[in-house]
Amino acid sequence: MDLNVDFAGIKLKNPLVGASGTFGYGLTYEKFFDLSLIGGFCTKGLSMKPREGNPTPRICETPSGMLNAIGLQNVGYEKFATKKMPKLRKISTAVIANFFGETMEEYIELAAKLDALEGIHGLEMNISCPNVEKGGAAFGTDIRVTEAVVKGCRAVVKNKPLIVKLSPNVADIAEFARACEGSGADGLSVINTLVGMAIDIKNRKPILANVTGGLSGPAIRPVAVRMVWQCYKAVKIPIFGIGGVASAKDVVEFIMAGASAVQVGTMNFVSPDIIPQLAEELPELLVRLGAASVSELVGVAHGG
Amino acid sequence: MQCTVTSIQSLAAGFFHLSLTPEKPLGPITPGQFVMIRCGESTDPLLRRPMSVADFEADGSRLGLLVQIAGRGTGTISRLDKGDQLDLIGPFGQGYSVPPEARTIVIVAGGTGVAPFMTLTPTLVSQGKDVHVLLGARTKELLLMEEWFLHAGASLHVATDDGSKGFDGLVTALMMERLDHMEEPPDMALACGPAGMMRAVAALAEHNNIPCQVSLENSMACGFGACLGCVAHVRGEKRYVTVCRKGPVFDSREVLI
Repeated sequence: MDLNVDFAGIKLKNPLVGASGTFGYGLTYEKFFDLSLIGGFCTKGLSMKPREGNPTPRICETPSGMLNAIGLQNVGYEKFATKKMPKLRKISTAVIANFFGETMEEYIELAAKLDALEGIHGLEMNISCPNVEKGGAAFGTDIRVTEAVVKGCRAVVKNKPLIVKLSPNVADIAEFARACEGSGADGLSVINTLVGMAIDIKNRKPILANVTGGLSGPAIRPVAVRMVWQCYKAVKIPIFGIGGVASAKDVVEFIMAGASAVQVGTMNFVSPDIIPQLAEELPELLVRLGAASVSELVGVAHGG
Repeated sequence: MQCTVTSIQSLAAGFFHLSLTPEKPLGPITPGQFVMIRCGESTDPLLRRPMSVADFEADGSRLGLLVQIAGRGTGTISRLDKGDQLDLIGPFGQGYSVPPEARTIVIVAGGTGVAPFMTLTPTLVSQGKDVHVLLGARTKELLLMEEWFLHAGASLHVATDDGSKGFDGLVTALMMERLDHMEEPPDMALACGPAGMMRAVAALAEHNNIPCQVSLENSMACGFGACLGCVAHVRGEKRYVTVCRKGPVFDSREVLI
């Protein structure tokens, strides 16, 4: 069974990639499995300077999902490049650097640095993180700002595929997908978390210290599948389907909706070896569905 | 890792002890380390529940857990029967660490906070240390594993909030009383229980210059350092540490409880 996927030039040995924010810098998962078994992973969102993140409580379980407001905690570019990359270069898997900035300048400066960093296979721009007041939300929910930041990064990212991770917290995601494609993006990641909140009824206040958080997990899967469907109709560039993938069936569902590959997020927390497990289960399901490869199923639900 | 339930015993209303045999030994365990338990195969409830390892075999070929029914997840676990399977991962985190030169140890536990001390207490006693165990609960019915500690070779004192057994009041008030009784202050205090209790134990220990270790119980999604949900605030710094990896047991002076 051919599980290989070429995602905007990133060679994935299977269509299963660890989603940013659930996969650390990859190395966290080495104690559970051999990282070369998976298609790749997206790093925790990187910023120029290290960030300490939000106060606690940062997470809260919800029906078939969870809310998080981690606040973009990360080690910063320098530490990532000097401490994590030497180890990651020895592993045969695609390393996609997820990044964000608080200003247009920071986005562009960081994009240029990551483009030049040896061992990074692709860049994933986070324009949609809803957690930090000054951070992602503004970039990913205003179409002109989205275009400007994608164009700005595109101009300096000369060697590697540039993927934009879209916010679902917009009225028409297809419009944003088209804007990214028109601004030079090579691929899309659909979707980031949905803004949600939960109340502690005993104490009569929000559970999360940040008040709102990003909803993820199987609960959001139907929304994500719908948005992948809409984006597939709107653009030609490849799409990562993201949102509550928990089984091989879910992987195929996203692919049929139009995803070229999927990212597994929240379920890594529950079953840390879920990605290699899915890689093992996927061929059997594809055979049962009469498919000879992953690529022949991309977007088939849209008809001929 | 799949485990077989070898026994499940009710301890008090809403509390039970679960004994598990993993399909393969988990490897060495340090008291204070925890495992992450899956509550059934469904995605609702979704996340694993962290639980401190209570009694265990040194090689991790058997382990016991003390569980308090807090919601649907632990409710599902409470309905398991002998012979059923349970999925867990771990052990994770840093347990209690008692230096060889510490001679006198005071252990303060509230509710299911007795769990990490079930194996640690007899171990410390066997090393010739003078171990004082203070157990606290709201009522005498809720004093967990008292029998176990009676046979562990430590000096045991209990406190109940309603005075139905032992010291009448909070276990921290009992601790204050015991410290007054002791000729010399203990070399170390170890605490596990509700946050308020641990804060009080830590304050008392610090006031008396006694090194104190506490076990934090922040909500966590993964248990192995990926979600960054469980962080604790480092005292006096604008910095967080993961409870699951750097803890759950910390020196009380290191983090905000």
